[in-house]
Amino acid sequence: MFRLTLAQMRRSIGRLVAAGVAIVIGTAFVTATLIAGNVMTQTTNDSIAAQFADADLVVSAPDDLTASEVDALRSVPGVDAVDAVQFMYLDLSHGAKRVFQLGVPAPSDPRFEALEVVEGSMPTGPGQVSLPTAVAERLGVGIGDTVTGSRNVWDESAPDGGDYEEVRDELTVVGTTDDPYGAYAQMGGAVVVTADDVAAWQAAQAMPDEPERTYSAAMVGLAPGTDLETARAALVAASPDQAAAVTPDEHAQSQARKMTGDQDVFTYVILGFAAVALLVAALVIANTFQVLVAQRTRTLALLRAVGANRSQLARSVLTEATILGVLASVAGILLGGLLTQVALLVARGADLGVPIPATITVTPAVVLVPLLVGTLVTVVASFAPARAATRVAPLEALRPADAPSLSRGGGRVRLVVASLLTLGGLAVLGGGIWLGGTGSPEIGLLAGVAGGAVSFVGVLVGAVYWLPGVVSFVGRLLAGTGSTARLATANTLRNPRRTTATSTALLIGVTLVAMMSTGAASARTSLDAALDDQYPVDVLVATDAYGSTGDAVPDDVVRAVSGTEGVSRVVELSGATVTLLDGAEMTMHGVDPEQARGVVRTPDVLAAFAPGTVMVPEADAESWDVAEGDRLELTGPDGATLEVTAHLGAIGNGWLLDADDAKTLDPDAVVSRLWVGLDDTGDATQVVPAIQDAIVSSDTPVEVAGIAVERAAMQSVIDTILGVIVGLLAVAVVIALIGVANTLSLSVIERRRESATLRAIGLSRGQLRWMLAIEGMLIAGVGAVLGIVLGVLYGWAGAATALSVMGDVSLAVPWRDVALVLVVALVAGLVASVVPGRTAARTSPVAALAVD
Amino acid sequence: MDTTVYRPADPAPAGPPAVRARSLRKTYGTGEAAVHALDGVDVDFERGHFTAIMGPSGSGKSTLMHLLAGLDTASSGHAFIGDTEVTGLNDNALTQLRRDRVGFVFQSFNLLPMFTAEQNITLPVELANGKVDRAWFDTLVRTLGLEARLSHRPSELSGGQQQRVAIARALIAGPEVVFADEPTGNLDSRSGAEVLSFLRRSVRELGRTIIMVTHDPTAAAYADRVVLIADGRIAGDITDPTPESVLAGLDALRTLEAPGADGSAPTTSQAVRA
Repeated sequence: MFRLTLAQMRRSIGRLVAAGVAIVIGTAFVTATLIAGNVMTQTTNDSIAAQFADADLVVSAPDDLTASEVDALRSVPGVDAVDAVQFMYLDLSHGAKRVFQLGVPAPSDPRFEALEVVEGSMPTGPGQVSLPTAVAERLGVGIGDTVTGSRNVWDESAPDGGDYEEVRDELTVVGTTDDPYGAYAQMGGAVVVTADDVAAWQAAQAMPDEPERTYSAAMVGLAPGTDLETARAALVAASPDQAAAVTPDEHAQSQARKMTGDQDVFTYVILGFAAVALLVAALVIANTFQVLVAQRTRTLALLRAVGANRSQLARSVLTEATILGVLASVAGILLGGLLTQVALLVARGADLGVPIPATITVTPAVVLVPLLVGTLVTVVASFAPARAATRVAPLEALRPADAPSLSRGGGRVRLVVASLLTLGGLAVLGGGIWLGGTGSPEIGLLAGVAGGAVSFVGVLVGAVYWLPGVVSFVGRLLAGTGSTARLATANTLRNPRRTTATSTALLIGVTLVAMMSTGAASARTSLDAALDDQYPVDVLVATDAYGSTGDAVPDDVVRAVSGTEGVSRVVELSGATVTLLDGAEMTMHGVDPEQARGVVRTPDVLAAFAPGTVMVPEADAESWDVAEGDRLELTGPDGATLEVTAHLGAIGNGWLLDADDAKTLDPDAVVSRLWVGLDDTGDATQVVPAIQDAIVSSDTPVEVAGIAVERAAMQSVIDTILGVIVGLLAVAVVIALIGVANTLSLSVIERRRESATLRAIGLSRGQLRWMLAIEGMLIAGVGAVLGIVLGVLYGWAGAATALSVMGDVSLAVPWRDVALVLVVALVAGLVASVVPGRTAARTSPVAALAVD
Repeated sequence: MDTTVYRPADPAPAGPPAVRARSLRKTYGTGEAAVHALDGVDVDFERGHFTAIMGPSGSGKSTLMHLLAGLDTASSGHAFIGDTEVTGLNDNALTQLRRDRVGFVFQSFNLLPMFTAEQNITLPVELANGKVDRAWFDTLVRTLGLEARLSHRPSELSGGQQQRVAIARALIAGPEVVFADEPTGNLDSRSGAEVLSFLRRSVRELGRTIIMVTHDPTAAAYADRVVLIADGRIAGDITDPTPESVLAGLDALRTLEAPGADGSAPTTSQAVRA
């Protein structure tokens, strides 16, 4: 029987290969995902281990180590050097350029040096700093220059029992560093200052009642000749309970395990997409085997007639599927490995700053998981065809081979199951939307995802009942174009199950793609409104960012900003010192109302802004006991008074006055802020640094807040995530299109005599090819259109559930993406028909005369 | 758009032959292995006649029909339908020829399973973007006794009914000639007799020209004339045949053949079939 199975496989090799490609792509996807996950974990491990440089041991305790506990380690015999591991974020600026960078103490021992000095040296005294080369370039400083460090210090003498106060330190750059092992690559590099400075700054930052400062770990260097195990035991003994002394590699692994939770989630999400691709592959496989069995009906019947029993036939089909599954999975694993290896080489060449391993690591899971999954999917997909094989009666061997007849759709049980799943799922989905709208988006989203998934399964299971109807409807629309279209429609409907399965395979991918892009489009339009509220001004240039009235923004700075390419308008705000009736003094900003409305993204907020009014931030209204329409009396520093009407609503958190009113109250008010509008916020990532560069020469410290950069970053995050998701789902669409080509070529082979008959009664070669092209486009087009409709609906449901917390959800249809998907599907359907069409057109009409 | 209305050709028993073959030759393989399926055939088929081509398996009768109908290419010689030389037409011209001037009836009926009987019958006209001549359609349906079956699909029809639908399909476009390849091969003798009667009626009453390939003497006896063929050559001609006269003719062929040739016949037949 096994020999017979192999012989049959050889005869159908072309079709099996076409079906196998679906599995190859699916398993390659899984393999690549698993390998990529391993690479990420390894990269994280390596970079954590690199932070400990050549330390011999790392001591850590569950409750961290106090300074005295770290000191205790120094007296352990054989211990040469001990450094506590500590980080501190530093706010460094040079002129208008500013970075927020991780800072680490200079190591006390060369063995602990994770960074290499490129120029100059490591800091040795207070107020010295070594910068990563890239950071030095960004700030535009070299060795000997100074940078300003800003930090908050707890000031106990402040009113209300103490407050944070900003302190600036002038730090001298003494060296630039490189990070050859990527120790801090994921944090964008690390600035080095002396350990004393770190300790002093951290102590100044702490509030008096804060618990004692602790360290997550301490690096230990051993004297030459000290036995590692002995030292390890001694260190543990000298440490608090439950402490561990491990090598840097071991420590990195345990740290990475805590950290990589996120990466695992990421891997699982991608594996979810791989599962979609494999599901589609399973449909393609099931279809192929169904047809293989149908084609072999006579052979199978003959086998039954000469004594094969039902289970032997079923086993033969399953064996065939197993062989195909194993071979295709192995090919997929090789392909996936090859692709990730190539990706690694490309990534290394691109110099991402993160050390990337040169070769992929093949763990047993990387090979076994795709192999098992790929084979299992293939075998499971062949269950139904195997059962069909057992239903072949021996009698069929004796009947003349008839033209393939029409087959029925599905049974009643299927209908009931499909209806229950669809309706039940939709009900849950509706509940999810309602929950999302009433303020529990998490539960709503959970219900929405579950309901959506269940209803989608129902739609897929029930597709056989309604999808042929849609094909027939579209076909009737086409029938007017001629008999070829009518023939094509009739052909697609002769086997509703197969057409449904082929179309469904495409529908799955298209639905998900359409859902994602609809969701993203809705999210983008909804977020645009939210972003406008949150980031009303594109760029803020200020001298008074730290709360003072600030110095005047020099004229040359205003000119430089106005002259920067990409800047559309600049509005000047003057800071006036104003006293309210209750004696509280504050800075209000004077600006021309018209100009203000012209530059902000939410001009409606400033609708009431005019001379004689003050705009009060809503957040301040309650604490200052101000209501809309209140009359407020304002007093300037020289005693000038002005009565104004308060209106709620402001840009950011400052109070706004008309420019002339501000001048009246405080004649000394100077321009301390600029509101800058950009031509296109999408360019913010280029324009904002350009503004910073333009004003770097100014002597007055000027703050440039690139709010638009955040806005652009948020938009690019949405776009990137969408792009990645659509790319991943595209794999499923590609597999489904292979399925369309497969189905068409199988139809052509099945209908060989019929094609010949049509040729004999007057169908031209061109008409025959066109007929198959219409069939292909009909199957693909209907799958795509239904997928788009379902996807848009699901996308809206998702957006309504997830985004309603943010306020009004605007449902959008991504027309461009939708059109693209449809065009791709139609072209692919057309392309899929080319090869089968040529085969069919080659059929001589003589074949119609053949009896068999 | 082609809006030609298809009408039956005028019955014209006299005049030039409907189909002619001149020195028609078909050779498979080359050199030593060459098999001459047709070895220089000259034959005329008259308009308005029902002619049967008969011969044993492998005699070349099917090959002759394929060449006459333009389904296959000849190695040399000429075949004509009316005044048109079929040999040497390109595929498009042949398709046009099959649409307008030739009809086929197959042994396995070859109806399209997804279309009803009526849709099957009118298909050739629709493929040519033409209009169905309803009067002619009604005549055909009435003559073939298919009135009650028009909305049925092939799977709901008996073999004889399916073949009658196939005959109607072959005649709908009013072709100059209908080729029938073993039209009774898949039918029981009663249905077979019925189908043959219809073929004969369509010649006698509707003025059609039919060329039928068969190896059944009883079937051949329905024709006006039987052309006997053996070893790729014309071996005899019987006018107004009866089953007895056809059998006698076939017996005469056998005695002509060398006794040893019987053994090689199946091999030849395989080659020709393939």
